[in-house]
This record gives sequence, structure tokens and C-alpha cells, in this order.
Amino acid sequence: MTDTISFSQEVSNLLYAAEGEPIKTCIQCGTCSGTCPVAGYMDYTPRQIIAMINQGMKEQVLESNTFWYCASCYHCTVRCPQDINITELMYALKRYSIWKGQHKEGLIGPTFSEAFVKMIVRGGRSFEPILAPSYIFSFGLRELLQEVTNATELLLKGRLPILPARIKRLDNFKRIIGRIIPMGGLE
Amino acid sequence: MTKKLLMIDDDPDFVAGIKAILDNAGFEVEVAYNPKEGLHALQTKQYDLLLLDIMMGRGAEGIMIARKLRKDVKLREMPVLIITGMREQIAFLFPGEPIHPRFVEVDELVEKPVEPKMLIEKVNSLILTAETKKAGKK
Repeated sequence: MTDTISFSQEVSNLLYAAEGEPIKTCIQCGTCSGTCPVAGYMDYTPRQIIAMINQGMKEQVLESNTFWYCASCYHCTVRCPQDINITELMYALKRYSIWKGQHKEGLIGPTFSEAFVKMIVRGGRSFEPILAPSYIFSFGLRELLQEVTNATELLLKGRLPILPARIKRLDNFKRIIGRIIPMGGLE
Repeated sequence: MTKKLLMIDDDPDFVAGIKAILDNAGFEVEVAYNPKEGLHALQTKQYDLLLLDIMMGRGAEGIMIARKLRKDVKLREMPVLIITGMREQIAFLFPGEPIHPRFVEVDELVEKPVEPKMLIEKVNSLILTAETKKAGKK
């Protein structure tokens, strides 16, 4: 058989400009977990996730909600004494789980990303009334009502568009997308 | 003489499978697990064919490699077989639409999962056409 690579190496390969394995240099100080504003809602804290990646616990890492809850505030990255780009690591894990089609059920993250990207590719701009259904039904009844009242108020004040805004020269924009992602019948 | 192939793909399981098929067919396969290493290997060593994945690293980095190859005078002639699973990986974006290849002059596109027989056939024919082209130029 061929010599294969470890899970941590696999993740490192997904990081931007990764030289070697930055994740392996983690000293488990816990600064990232201490800094993280959403650590309380995560299955495992960022420090634990890094330790699990280094141990090759692939299934548990992909099953966790940690990287989907990351708010991308970059505070962990700024404070990390070993200069590990933890936010980038979270993005890498998101990519990895979407490409492999393996993620926890009932998460908002994947469906929201999908709806958002689809919308941008089609119309060039974000349009909230269509974006909302991708996550709004995962709320409880009270939160749902709260969201609806908020939306109505925004609408009445003219802060929420009723019709989706279109950008100028949408064809050019689509051509740009086609250059980045080689799909879409472009010739 | 055994043909030397380079494979750039980030999925270790897929690489193991394809490498086993090509090893049995008598090719010498080298593997780079990330685009950076792959590009470095391409620039420093000589290969007869490149097997290239699209979705790597930060996104479609395989395309970036293909574009760099196209601009490189030395590497432009090398046949490239693009093996991609990107239709499944970002299926939600453009359902049912074709992937447009043509990032390098001599290339062919195969989608994952790959049929072993077809793979070997394609590899052989690509190397052959590249060699006849080279001989014709000289």
C-alpha cells in the first residue's frame, strides 16, 4: 500500500499558504478557547478541536458543530502565541465537510452558506427575505415570532427591500464567477 | 521505459485507489497532496503526465495550477488529465451544468468516480498523442 497522510496533514493542506503542519505546533495553552465569544455554544472548544485533529479523530471533528459556530472574529488568531491561523482552520474544516458531504444534521451553517452563495451567483446581491427561510424554521416559536415582528418593523420603516435588488451588468459578473468556478456552461 | 506520472490530489483515500490502479498498470506514480508541493515538483522534476484534482486548498486551486502550466513555456506541452469530483462537491451551485475544461492545451477531463479501465486507456492515449506531437515538432 501507499503511505497516506494523517488527518492533521490533510487539514493543513487546506490552509492558505500552509507550510508544513502549523496545527502540530499548538501548545494547548487554551488562549483561543478563553478568547472565543461563542465557545460556550460549541460542542468542543477550539483548543479541543486542535487536539482532536492532532489525534486524528476525524469523525468526531466532522460531527461537531464547533467550526460552524465560529463567528470569524479572528480574536483567537490574533492572540495565538504560536501564530496558528485558527479562523482559517475553521474555514478549512467547513470546506472539508462540505466537499465530503459530511456534517452534523440540523445545523444552520451549511444550508445558510448554500442559500447565500446561490443568491449571490444568481443576482449579485444579498436579499434577506429569501435568505431567511434557510435558518428561520430552526428557531423555536417565540424566536420565530420575534424575527417576524422585527422583519415587519424593518419593512415598514423601509429598511427591508420587498423586491430583490439587481446589479448592473449581471452577465459580466457571471463571467467572473465562471472564471473562479469552472462550471456553468461558459465558453 | 516506465512512464513517470505526477498526481496532485488532496484526498488520501482517492489517491491510494488511483495509485494502486496505475501501479499495477506499470506506471511510476508520484503524489503531491497539496497544490504548492505539486507545483514545486512540476518545476523541479520531469514527468510524462499530470493527474490533477480541481477542488483543493482554498477552493478551485487545481485551476490555478492549470493556468500556471499554460503560461509556463516548459510545462505547456505536458499532457494533463483532470480528475475532479467538483460536480458533487459544489453540486448545489450549477445543477446539471457542464464543467468547462480547456485550461491547458493538451488536457482531458474525467469525473470521479473513475473507471479503472477507462483511466488507463486515457492515460496511455494522452501520453501517446503528446509524444507523437513532440516527435513531429523535432
